[in-house]
Amino acid sequence: MAITADDVSLEDIIPISLDFAVVEVSSSEELAVVGADTKMKVSYQEEELELRLPFGSHSRLFLSEVNRVWSDVCKTTTQAPKFEWISKYHKATRGLGTTVNKLNQHQKKEKSSDKKGTIEGEKGSNSGTHKSKAYSSPESQSIFSREDRNDLVRSSSHTPSNKAQILAMPQFGLRDNLIRCELLKNEDLYTYPEDFSFFLGTYNVNGQTPKESLSPWLSCTLNPPDMYCIGFQELDLSKEAFFFNDTPKELEWTKAVSQALHPDAKYALVKLVRLVGIMLIFYVKKEHAEFISDVEAETVGTGIMGRMGNKGAVAVRFRFHNSDICVVNSHLAAHIEEYERRNQDYKEICSRLQFRQLDPSQPPLTIMKHDVILWIGDLNYRISELDVSNVKELIGKKDFETLHSYDQLKRQIDEEAVFVGFAEGDIDFQPTYKYDTGSDKWDTSEKCRVPAWCDRILWRGKNIVQQHYQSHMALKTSDHKPVSSLLVIGIKKVNAEAYKKTFEEIVRNIDKMENECIPSVTLSKREFHFKDVKYMQHHAETLSLVNDGQVPCQFEFIQKPNEPTYCKPWLTANPSKGFIAKGGSVDIELEVFVNRSTAPELNSGKEQIEDILVLHLERGKDYFISVIGNYLPSCYGSSIHSLCQLREPIQDMSQETLREVAKMSGGENAVNTEKPLDIPKELWMMVDHLFRNALKQEDIFQQPGLRSEFAEIRDCLDTGIPDSLPGSNHSVAEALLLFLDALPEPVVPYSFYQQCLEICSNASQCEKVISMLPQCHKNVFNYLAAFLRELLKNSASNRLDVNILATIFASLLLRSPTKQDLAEKRKTQEFFQHFLAQGSS
Amino acid sequence: MAKQYDVLFRLLLLGDSGVGKTCLLCRFTDNEFHPSHISTIGVDFKMKTLVIDGIKVRIQIWDTAGQERYQTITKQYYRRAQGIFLVYDITSERSFQHIMKWASDVDEYAPEKVRKILVGNKSDDVDKRQVATEQGIKLAKAYGMDFFETSAFTNQNIAETFTRLAEQVLAANKKDLDLLRMSNNDEINLAALEEEEGLCDGAPGDQGKGCWC
Ligand SMILES: Nc1nc2c(ncn2[C@@H]2O[C@H](COP(=O)(O)OP(=O)(O)O)[C@@H](O)[C@H]2O)c(=O)[nH]1
Ligand SMILES: [Mg+2]
Repeated sequence: MAITADDVSLEDIIPISLDFAVVEVSSSEELAVVGADTKMKVSYQEEELELRLPFGSHSRLFLSEVNRVWSDVCKTTTQAPKFEWISKYHKATRGLGTTVNKLNQHQKKEKSSDKKGTIEGEKGSNSGTHKSKAYSSPESQSIFSREDRNDLVRSSSHTPSNKAQILAMPQFGLRDNLIRCELLKNEDLYTYPEDFSFFLGTYNVNGQTPKESLSPWLSCTLNPPDMYCIGFQELDLSKEAFFFNDTPKELEWTKAVSQALHPDAKYALVKLVRLVGIMLIFYVKKEHAEFISDVEAETVGTGIMGRMGNKGAVAVRFRFHNSDICVVNSHLAAHIEEYERRNQDYKEICSRLQFRQLDPSQPPLTIMKHDVILWIGDLNYRISELDVSNVKELIGKKDFETLHSYDQLKRQIDEEAVFVGFAEGDIDFQPTYKYDTGSDKWDTSEKCRVPAWCDRILWRGKNIVQQHYQSHMALKTSDHKPVSSLLVIGIKKVNAEAYKKTFEEIVRNIDKMENECIPSVTLSKREFHFKDVKYMQHHAETLSLVNDGQVPCQFEFIQKPNEPTYCKPWLTANPSKGFIAKGGSVDIELEVFVNRSTAPELNSGKEQIEDILVLHLERGKDYFISVIGNYLPSCYGSSIHSLCQLREPIQDMSQETLREVAKMSGGENAVNTEKPLDIPKELWMMVDHLFRNALKQEDIFQQPGLRSEFAEIRDCLDTGIPDSLPGSNHSVAEALLLFLDALPEPVVPYSFYQQCLEICSNASQCEKVISMLPQCHKNVFNYLAAFLRELLKNSASNRLDVNILATIFASLLLRSPTKQDLAEKRKTQEFFQHFLAQGSS
Repeated sequence: MAKQYDVLFRLLLLGDSGVGKTCLLCRFTDNEFHPSHISTIGVDFKMKTLVIDGIKVRIQIWDTAGQERYQTITKQYYRRAQGIFLVYDITSERSFQHIMKWASDVDEYAPEKVRKILVGNKSDDVDKRQVATEQGIKLAKAYGMDFFETSAFTNQNIAETFTRLAEQVLAANKKDLDLLRMSNNDEINLAALEEEEGLCDGAPGDQGKGCWC
């Protein structure tokens, strides 16, 4: 049968194993824009790949699907799948193969050295297994996989530890944290205390099953309390309970409790947590349930090997309105002389018991991080230095004050060796340990234990008042008596209106901060005017940028739509990008320079000196800078044909006329009814000047002219028709060469170029080609050739020869429409030499 | 407080130079009004956080140069916007007439899904009014947009206008956002879920009292 979609699953296709991770990544600076791609990093062992997925639900679905499979893999497989199909790709690239090998070795080493951790992990997960059986809650799964993950040596930032992390946007973390911190700092602004009663009860049941109603203990208050936190110890002393953490007693006692809660109110069971025989049940009055959030439960074993659950603590944390509350039920080490061991258990519990937070970027919460801590349990502290008869005598006299001064817990607290910062109410009841089961008689066994206040209730936090603290002698099921306390606790309630105001204020401030941190500069000028721009003349102006923002900034001129560069070809900005420190400044030269490639369009009026530069600040705004100016048209960069139409200097012509002239194709002659000139008058002026003054000039066309003289000559040609030109002969000679070079269409038009190359060795053919040129081009060609032949007649003085002139002029008169190679160059020279021979034409 | 999902939108202010775009932006983000503004030459932006429907929405508002000569350049910013304010000045008939041109540019250059809203600014300046409220309503209706008359000067309808457009953009992207939120809520409501399960497991077989004791 053909493979269908059902035969394929994500698990088989993608090497999802413990070494595999898909995490959403984002650069810290860019925010998630709705519609933007989702960037993600895929890592497998040491290999990493960054991908972009298109925005949308499909990508989201894929991410959550991968994560689901990933958590399944973590839960079920002890042996990682091999994904052999990948290996052939590894072989293909040798480098990759070796990496994988190395990695495997590395992993092996780590596994063996990490043995201890693995065992602990398994033990820890015992309780997890049980929990998931009892509750099948999604939470137990996550606890399980979390513990597994602790054994893996992986950087946490790459671990998709749960769905929240994959879906939450990490880049918002910073802002959220900031808001959270500010909210906490300003808590007084939007919270007010309101009293709630907490009933706390602790009962060591000595492995018994419930035999009597618990009402005398749990319903001893006049009014129904708002909360119940009920702790049990020694719920089940059987081996099964110890080894498998499984006991029917959990249900039996929970039932007994729920039946004995105050009859005048309805209670919801919010959380139950148990470690072997230590159990804590948390109930809340129905109407308060909606204000309870962030409920978490944890356990810590401090028993045999310092880990097992026969001793230790269970705890529940939750948020009620705006107060964070932690309830701990502990069973500490037994035996009269072991009080230091009990102190140590307490410290162990405080440091090892940690609650995960919903926001995975937050560190786990410890007990002491809570506003209110309620600590109950069989703390097992005894009465020392007195023998049984002394103790019983004091009890008989009800002198609990004296007796209390021998209490180990009181002494240890006074020495600040344990429960620092905790308070306990005065004890006005007789010790709760140890009785003969089923009676109120002190222990009559051989051991004849000294009575002790093993069962205690302590608290830590502000605004807490104890209403009662008592034992309940009526209950006779166990060798302990249950103890209860009613605490009235000032809980921070939120004033929604004030909260909203505070929240908005904080957000507004953060927005403001953020807006202030948007890069910003001031510009010395927004408009640049370049007046009377001339051909081949530099015009520059300075644009000063001052970074007046709160942050350093990166600037760059950016391209406009449909334009290949950030500015027109006749303009440059130097530097066009850079960095400015806060408060610093940068000068940018804006330079206009019209050369032979930009001049034709400007001369003909098709193009103007007009541009808008977009100065972009990274992560910031854009500034528009406008550049305008006027260009003085020139014979330089104008076509032979156009110039032949102009009897007046080019700068005396109107824009209109110049545009019209440029539009005309060769031949026709609409503007001027007059006959066009044979050759451009500018060319004639230069050649005639040289003919009259420079025939015998040594090194003519060989020695460069002066730049300043060129400018004078250009202006002269463009503005008037003088009898003679300014500047030296060399400058005029160079001006002539520049003129030929600037012609948009060379003297021998591009369309004739190829033909010229082909017939270059045949003199008569060459002449024939020239005779076919457009009239004005032909005139110019012949005129120049005649002039050059005149020069050659004077070669004794001017030291010119055919070769030199052919080399110079061939490259100007016969230009290649593309790139010219050396062979072509020779051919053009050969072509032109025919016209330099004396007696030709 | 449970972690909420954040989104970012880009909104663009368009309209003739001088209609008050920059003033609207300043009023909304800083709650300030500076009567004499240097006209914007370029493209500027500011951030603002709104809470809509329990979602923290961060909006990036782009203010553009309205002058004719910059319009070919500013058009390239349209395609990055999810929402657009078309702003005219109720004291300028001309700026109102130009809305047609702005709207057709938006149709041409902005993404198809973009949401638009019509804004008639300077509603405080009643003496100089040239465009009747009804004209604005009519035009908005023709384009299928919402319409507000605002005053950056008196702060009238400013928050309303910005919030409305943000809401509309949110709604236009709702499908994808819902999925995000749903998956996020799984985490947030975990505690509540357990609560229910715990209740039923905690007192099974106790028909007399049920879950509530
Ligand atoms: N009376 C009144 N004047 C306003 C209002 N908004 C802006 N202005 C004025 O209109 C002028 C142009 O405002 P500006 O924000 O720079 O317009 P923009 O070119 O669209 O950014 C300024 O002189 C402001 O003082 C308003 O709501 N009422
Ligand atoms: Mg502006």
